[in-house]
Amino acid sequence: MEKMSRVTTALGSSAISGQTMFCHLDAPANAISVCRDASQVVVAGRNIFKIYALEEDQFVEKLNLRVGRKPSLNFSCADVMWHQMEENLLATAATNGAVVTWNLGKPSRNKQDQLFTEHKRTVNKVCFHPTEVYMLLSGSQDGFMKCFDLRKKESVSTFSGQSESVRDVQFSMKDYFTFAASFENGNVQLWDIRRPDRYERMFTAHTGPVFCCDWHPDDRGWLATGGRDKMVKVWDMTTNRAKEIFCVQTIASVARVKWRPEKKFHLATCSMMVDHNIYVWDVRRPFIPFATFEEHKDVTTGIVWRHQHDPHFLLSGSKDSTLYQHMFKDATRPVDKANPEGLCFGLFGDLAFAAKESLISSDSNRKPYPGGDRRYPIFFFKKPDQTEQFAHVSSALSVFETDLDSNCMDWFVKTAQLYLLCGKPFAELCDHNAKVARELKRPQVSTTWTMLRIMFSDPANLTPGSNHPLSKLGTLPLMNSKGESRQDNSHLEPGNSLISNNNEDNEETEGSEGQAEYMFGDAELDDDDLYSMEHDNQTEEQEYTLPQEAFQLRHEIMDNPSAPEHLQQDKADSPHVSGNEAEVTCLTPIESFSLISISQPLFTPHLPASFFCPIVREMLSYYAEKGDVQMAVSVLIVLGERIRKEIDDLTQEHWYTSYIDLLQRFELWNVSNEVIKLSTCSAITCLNQTSTTLHINCSNCKRPMSNRGWICDRCHQCASVCAVCHHVVKGLFVWCQGCNHGGHLEHIRNWLKSSAHCPAGCGHLCFRLLFLDQLLELNSANIRTEPSLLTEQRLSPHRFTAKASGVQQQSGGESLTHHEATN
Amino acid sequence: MSIQYEDPTLAGSYDVVGSFPKSFGYGVEDQDLEENCSTSADKPRILLMGLRRSGKSSIQKVVFHKMSPNETLFLESTNKIYKDDISSSSFVNFQIWDFPGQVDFLDPTFDSEMIFKGTGALIFVIDAQDDYVEALERLHLTVSRAYKVNPDINFEVFIHKVDGLSDDHKIETQRDIHQRANDELADANLEKLHLSIYDHSIFEAFSKVVQKLLPQLPTLENLLNIFISHSGIEKAFLFDVVSKIYIATDSSPVDMQSYELCCDMIDVVIDVSCIYGLMQDGSGCAYDKESSAIIRLNNTTVLYLKEVTKFLALVCILREESFERKGLIEYNFHCFRKAIHEVFEVGNLPQDARSSSNNLTGLKYAGAHNGSAV
Repeated sequence: MEKMSRVTTALGSSAISGQTMFCHLDAPANAISVCRDASQVVVAGRNIFKIYALEEDQFVEKLNLRVGRKPSLNFSCADVMWHQMEENLLATAATNGAVVTWNLGKPSRNKQDQLFTEHKRTVNKVCFHPTEVYMLLSGSQDGFMKCFDLRKKESVSTFSGQSESVRDVQFSMKDYFTFAASFENGNVQLWDIRRPDRYERMFTAHTGPVFCCDWHPDDRGWLATGGRDKMVKVWDMTTNRAKEIFCVQTIASVARVKWRPEKKFHLATCSMMVDHNIYVWDVRRPFIPFATFEEHKDVTTGIVWRHQHDPHFLLSGSKDSTLYQHMFKDATRPVDKANPEGLCFGLFGDLAFAAKESLISSDSNRKPYPGGDRRYPIFFFKKPDQTEQFAHVSSALSVFETDLDSNCMDWFVKTAQLYLLCGKPFAELCDHNAKVARELKRPQVSTTWTMLRIMFSDPANLTPGSNHPLSKLGTLPLMNSKGESRQDNSHLEPGNSLISNNNEDNEETEGSEGQAEYMFGDAELDDDDLYSMEHDNQTEEQEYTLPQEAFQLRHEIMDNPSAPEHLQQDKADSPHVSGNEAEVTCLTPIESFSLISISQPLFTPHLPASFFCPIVREMLSYYAEKGDVQMAVSVLIVLGERIRKEIDDLTQEHWYTSYIDLLQRFELWNVSNEVIKLSTCSAITCLNQTSTTLHINCSNCKRPMSNRGWICDRCHQCASVCAVCHHVVKGLFVWCQGCNHGGHLEHIRNWLKSSAHCPAGCGHLCFRLLFLDQLLELNSANIRTEPSLLTEQRLSPHRFTAKASGVQQQSGGESLTHHEATN
Repeated sequence: MSIQYEDPTLAGSYDVVGSFPKSFGYGVEDQDLEENCSTSADKPRILLMGLRRSGKSSIQKVVFHKMSPNETLFLESTNKIYKDDISSSSFVNFQIWDFPGQVDFLDPTFDSEMIFKGTGALIFVIDAQDDYVEALERLHLTVSRAYKVNPDINFEVFIHKVDGLSDDHKIETQRDIHQRANDELADANLEKLHLSIYDHSIFEAFSKVVQKLLPQLPTLENLLNIFISHSGIEKAFLFDVVSKIYIATDSSPVDMQSYELCCDMIDVVIDVSCIYGLMQDGSGCAYDKESSAIIRLNNTTVLYLKEVTKFLALVCILREESFERKGLIEYNFHCFRKAIHEVFEVGNLPQDARSSSNNLTGLKYAGAHNGSAV
């Protein structure tokens, strides 16, 4: 009923007419306000205070309130408000802290009525009570809000915002006693005018200052706030806890916000910096403004709807010294210019594409966008104005699913794992890689490899076999039985089955029986293979492997964490094995023939290898362009010197980094490390030299271990003591993740064979759920190494779990290569 | 001093000055010796407290020692109370006491009487990325303890390290901390919250803290208001050059971009001055009476920096077209500078003389040439 009555007034006031118009002011405006009958507007600024009459097609200056010879600071207005009941009454907030009221009914030239100078700092806002004639509220920078009774000389009550600057105060339209205040620290407070001692409610609305707030004219509970965080938020205050129901993100900090009359979901905003436009938002569609007014050349400082029941006229004042009346029908509709097409890739390569329905064949049953479906108020009998409609953009969304197989990157992972990049004669490498590619159903790649072999295989290189020098470590029998170490390794290397098959193949192809009969188990054989990668077939007849890098030896030792373990055990658990001690040179290379290469003298090399280089270069670029940088890099590595000079370093480096990045995304740490190692670009190889820091915590007090060494400097205990032999564990440390006790791998292993309880006697049933192997698998991931030694971890970093110890691990990745060796 | 009241109604509102400790005052060049003699213990202090690793030392280093926020990662934890007297280089005449996080109030050696007595503001730093429940308990304990000793302390809470949180989480955390802190301290009724979002916002928060301790703030703000409105300036900051915190600005809202712009300008000016402005023998000061700079940006904005006092600089943002009237701005600035000096001289006057002096001298000057301006 109430609504109906107001609607009639709205319709009755449709006498308001006008057009988009503006007038020049003498000075920048700070705030504007209209009188109740929408016929006049007051403009206030630092140097201006005038009243304009709104005529049909122009503004007419009615009155200048800045009178007197010496302009007082009281005229320097930060805010102005025209009383909505009493049309002769105005209030201004001065930058010097004064609150001034003006009575237009005064006969004298100076209309100043009352002057309150109770605020110490700038008053940011004045607000009349919507229904009470004599009640005025002010909010100031000094953190106080004051309520004035205009019949008295001073304020009747003071509300303390606890020294936070007040940016805005607004009386509630519906609740007689309530007002909202917004603060520079991001809070909004609700006060009861009768209770000045404490706010009724407070909530944090924005990060950063809240510059403005506005109660919804119809809906009792809605409060819109705007802040420096560039957001406009609409709060439902009826609930117990202020609930954010809408949020509009703008492009600049929001200086003013005003609900649009008669439109429940519309509000107008203007910004304080950068952006000069006025936006009208439909809060239900927060991503694009409903309408925009772009007339102002400088920051808009004040906006007000001309009549409280007419949504078509908006007045605005600006720092560019103009006063505008905007007609809503003249507003720009950004949605018309918006591109209703959208395109996005999904995580798994799906492609979603939304476009206007008209553009897409309408065979499917699509529903229109719900937000565009506006329900008109019942009391509009005539058809609503077209300008009031948010453009109906109903888009159709199509999702294109990519074929799972083509999308799947398994081939990449498999190829990365299976490719051999070094360690064998060139021809064998090519053959092997061709085979890998063929098995993965990539015939082109496979053929490419074969071609490469044919092109570059020099008969001179074919006859001698490759060297297979073995590291001493490799030849030493491990404490672990074969099977167990295999389990360890299999844990480290998923997809080992493939590799192991592959390795068997290798053995066969090599056909070197003697090698196979070596003392150590399969696992060691594989290590052997990997070690032998370090040199290519050109180092024939060479007695010892020459490390490629100066650091080589050190890493070679450290990377085999199980080795120190068994080396130490003879020494009655004084397991100080420094890297140096274990340093090894590779021993006796085994001559072996590469049978395949010999058995396939398929061509006579009448063309020099360099003849093919341009073609190969082109081929590599082609693969790289196509996105198969893996191929490019692999060929680059395998061909080595043969092709390297043909391709400029930057391109190479680019390929390497792309490939390494890809590998790391697929968590193929070992492969990526191998690639890093084998690369010849200095920029790439140095990736390995950058130090990696691992942080260790003391196992007793859980604090970080700051200095290197075995003793925690906080609890003065050895950090990692074997629960079985009570010696410090230096090397592989295994522990139960339930009770944190642990020790030497072998000791724990033996212990758990006989007992399921914790060896430390803590009573924890370490072995309840886990079978031995699983336990070991789980925990072999957590390795403790000696801090002072710069030892290396056996793991890929991502496996390294939180508690694990840590050391400054230099060239950390390098070692990882060797652990790819799985059975 | 022959000062006429321009607007008598305003005179009374500044009497509060007298109720503040006199050592808040700021000495200009002709500072009398007595002020200098005041022992450091008399100086109002800003205490930085909080749980360990919450970032107290980082804040202090970033704000007052020009440490870059990244470097603070490597700060050692503070083991003892670290007193930093910055009054020698900065306008801010305060001591910052950086407390170690694990200070124990129940420890008999902890002299809360001594520590809280002269304290102007207590900043409690909460690490938003940590579990802040413990911090809030600590806050409650600290605040109630300090309040008992000295009820005049301004309590500030910095929510630190929020930049690591997502936007939603950020405001949620802020709200939650606010709510809990207020609930716990409902009886003390002294809670204020500042949010520091990133390093520049630390500056802003610190600016607020310092401003609250500044009895002259309304006057300064007013002077700035007058100055900018008569000179066509959009925004003006009164900066403490060393720390780059603003001790006053005009009453229009502070925009972070403008503030950062001004901070950067100070950096540029000081850096250039350090390289080219010193004497051959390295003597001289990077910032002196002659310091002034104009930077024209490509968006028709002009940045204008002028020395105000030994420690203070005025940095203005204005439009190119306003800057055409440079002479007027210069003259207005001259008046403004004079007024600022007078304001701070008031702080040094004996107690009785103070109440009679009006800080608004600038008004007269500014008002006087208003006619020429418009």
